[in-house]
Amino acid sequence: MVSSKLRKVPEGVSLTSKEVAWIRRKLGREPNPVEWGMFDIMYSEHCSYKSSRPVLKILPSKGPRVIVGPGYDSGIVDLGDGYVAAFKVESHNHPSAIEPYNGAATGIGGIVRDILCVGARPVALLDSLRFGSLQSPHSRWLFRYVVKGIADYGNCIGVPTVAGEVEFDRSFEKNCLVNVACVGIAKKEDIILAEFKHPGDIIVLVGGSTGRDGIHGVTFASKTLSEESEADRPAVQIGDPFMKKLLIEAVLEALKTGFVSGVKDLGGGGLTCATSEMSAKGGVGVEINLDRVHVREAEMNAYELMLSESQERMLFAVKPEGLKTVLEVFEKYEIPYSVLGKVVEGGLLKADFKGETVVNVPAELVARAPVIRRKARKPPAVQEKLKASKPSQPENLQKAFLELLSSQNIASREWVYRQYDHEVGVRTVVKPGDGDAAVLRLIDVPKAVAVTFDANSRHSALDPFNGHAGALAEAARNLVCVGAEPLAYTDCCNFGNPEKPEVFWQFKQGIEGLALMSKGLKIPCVGGNVSFYNEDEETGLAVKPTTTIVMVGLIEKLDHITSMGLKEAGDALIMVGTTLPEMGGSEYYHEILKFDGGEPPKASVRKEKATIKTVLKAIRKGFVKAAHDCSKGGLAAALAVMAVKGKLGLNVNLERIPSLKIGRLDELLFSESYARVLLEVPKRKVERVLKIASKNGASASQIGEVSDREAFTLKFKGKPVVDCSLSELEEAWLTPLPKALEGTPA
Amino acid sequence: MKAYTVEIVIENKPAARDPEGETIHRDLILKGGYVNVKAVRTGKYLRMTIEANSPWEAERLAFEMCNSLRIYNPVAHVYRIKVLE
Repeated sequence: MVSSKLRKVPEGVSLTSKEVAWIRRKLGREPNPVEWGMFDIMYSEHCSYKSSRPVLKILPSKGPRVIVGPGYDSGIVDLGDGYVAAFKVESHNHPSAIEPYNGAATGIGGIVRDILCVGARPVALLDSLRFGSLQSPHSRWLFRYVVKGIADYGNCIGVPTVAGEVEFDRSFEKNCLVNVACVGIAKKEDIILAEFKHPGDIIVLVGGSTGRDGIHGVTFASKTLSEESEADRPAVQIGDPFMKKLLIEAVLEALKTGFVSGVKDLGGGGLTCATSEMSAKGGVGVEINLDRVHVREAEMNAYELMLSESQERMLFAVKPEGLKTVLEVFEKYEIPYSVLGKVVEGGLLKADFKGETVVNVPAELVARAPVIRRKARKPPAVQEKLKASKPSQPENLQKAFLELLSSQNIASREWVYRQYDHEVGVRTVVKPGDGDAAVLRLIDVPKAVAVTFDANSRHSALDPFNGHAGALAEAARNLVCVGAEPLAYTDCCNFGNPEKPEVFWQFKQGIEGLALMSKGLKIPCVGGNVSFYNEDEETGLAVKPTTTIVMVGLIEKLDHITSMGLKEAGDALIMVGTTLPEMGGSEYYHEILKFDGGEPPKASVRKEKATIKTVLKAIRKGFVKAAHDCSKGGLAAALAVMAVKGKLGLNVNLERIPSLKIGRLDELLFSESYARVLLEVPKRKVERVLKIASKNGASASQIGEVSDREAFTLKFKGKPVVDCSLSELEEAWLTPLPKALEGTPA
Repeated sequence: MKAYTVEIVIENKPAARDPEGETIHRDLILKGGYVNVKAVRTGKYLRMTIEANSPWEAERLAFEMCNSLRIYNPVAHVYRIKVLE
């Protein structure tokens, strides 16, 4: 029986009574206020993953290409030829919902540091954004300033923003989702890990000075947003991209000296998180002196120094014999630093301040919060929605089609990516909007890396299992469409309050879906991030379950690089994969029929494998001139985008589309069934491609051809269903975002 | 009604950083030898001419405007309003 005294939660600490009892028992004494603050921050959901860890364990994390898997600052995969790619995704939802510009900018800052920490040079940024409806002024304000924050910060540090996605849905009105990812390239021998390994190593805090900003930022991220958040607002950080640019160069040069044995960035949890995690990982202890921290505010106390989340800081473990050499690098770049202490034997995290020991706890106890087994319960409302009867088909399908093209979730994202510098670094081969994934070339080897960012919250809201599996498969499809072989992925889970069994059910189902597809396609997970509590406290409305997937692929030969715009009149259009009447969660139901029920698409490992193999094989054989996967808006939207991008018309006979159980034309046009890809193939190669498909078990057929007329024609048994000009398509697809965002007050 | 000159100064919250000010301080002022300068904060300055019946009314108008039009960002900034004659 645990005494009530042991379970009493100290004032100002947001730990549970079980956790405080556990800490007291393990420690054998009452922690002091500084130590309570450290436990508080490290046991928060954001730092500890205490709810998600037991679930995430089911994701496969091993593979022949995996060098570093989950648990480190970024996942690392082998690209061959002595090169590796490091990549990581992170959410910056809560800070961005409060202050979009700095929230998004510092999100980029944090993710760049994660890549630097493993010794890789950041070469590309990606962002996945979700807001409420564009009709809402608040959402427009958030959207505009999040994009500006990413653009300003990314452009200043000289890392191109190459890909991403934006989705609008009312569930994100109060809680926008800002997921940012970074990809880095390194030589295999330059990789370094965030661990303290060798007792005697000197600990150096490098970069920005420490202030009172952002104290308890992560405990803030582990709460739902309420009106009180207004008062919590000192948690907002101001980014400093020019300092970051210096930091990037200084860190990479310091690592080159060979005297650095571990680096970690200071993000959520500040010095507490970095020292405890690095010690726990290396099985050692650490002794630091807080008097030495370079500060920018007077009179900071030990609690503030240990918990501050000031930006642009990193923690280094340096071999004593190389300290002078490493410090000279920082001096050269005028980066401030302070030598805090050293790595020691044993496992204690000890900090002194003004002649007193203010922290003396086992690092392991701070860094590894006990897991919480949450209850999961299927929400009853979901079943009803799935079984809801179908709405009827509109009379004018052409009108519905054009409306769908101009709807906020399908319309061109050019307004967003033209604000980003996507060329800096001269690696970007396939630019935003031109292909299903961004393609970056390696400088010394004739190979390229492809990277994509995907999620599908609307499918996941109805069926998290299939929605998540489908999002993972879509990422893989996007990579093969540009000619890449998928290597590995990292996921960023965005959910409501995990203490609610219905939310936790969504999370569990989602991860199970990911695990199934991930195992089936043999694409391992090398890291991730979980953001819970994306929920409006007033209305109790949680965000739609959204797990964004960043996937990296390798393009073996530069000739394989494929974009999505149509290339030449007279070429054949081939559809790979089967269309089913899987309309639930489709943009068509949502935007045109205003209906939020129905069965969403089912994910099938067998079908995805067949499609992926077919497309990759056909591209590698040199038969494919353009490729594009069918996702939001279905086949019709995919065809339209290929036409607009290539400035060429097309003729398609809808009855030739491989389909099953389809009873209506709108289902054929707008179903969002998975495992489907459109290919442009020269006429004389059609038979070869169809043969590859049948050999790999994928259904495929020639559905039409590219034409040099300015007409976009979709016919069913000779009768036109959609017949419009390219300029009509352009008007519908290219103009909605600029119209919604330019000339309207913020 | 009388025309009042109203000054509005907007700067980052005291606890928030000011990278621009820090850079001016470090790279321009200190390197230029002005070591007596201990800190620099940058900000935005607006001078408005507002017609009002009293200085208090002019101040109230400026206050209302700053908040409703988000002339400053309540999360990142603090502002000061001063009415001159």
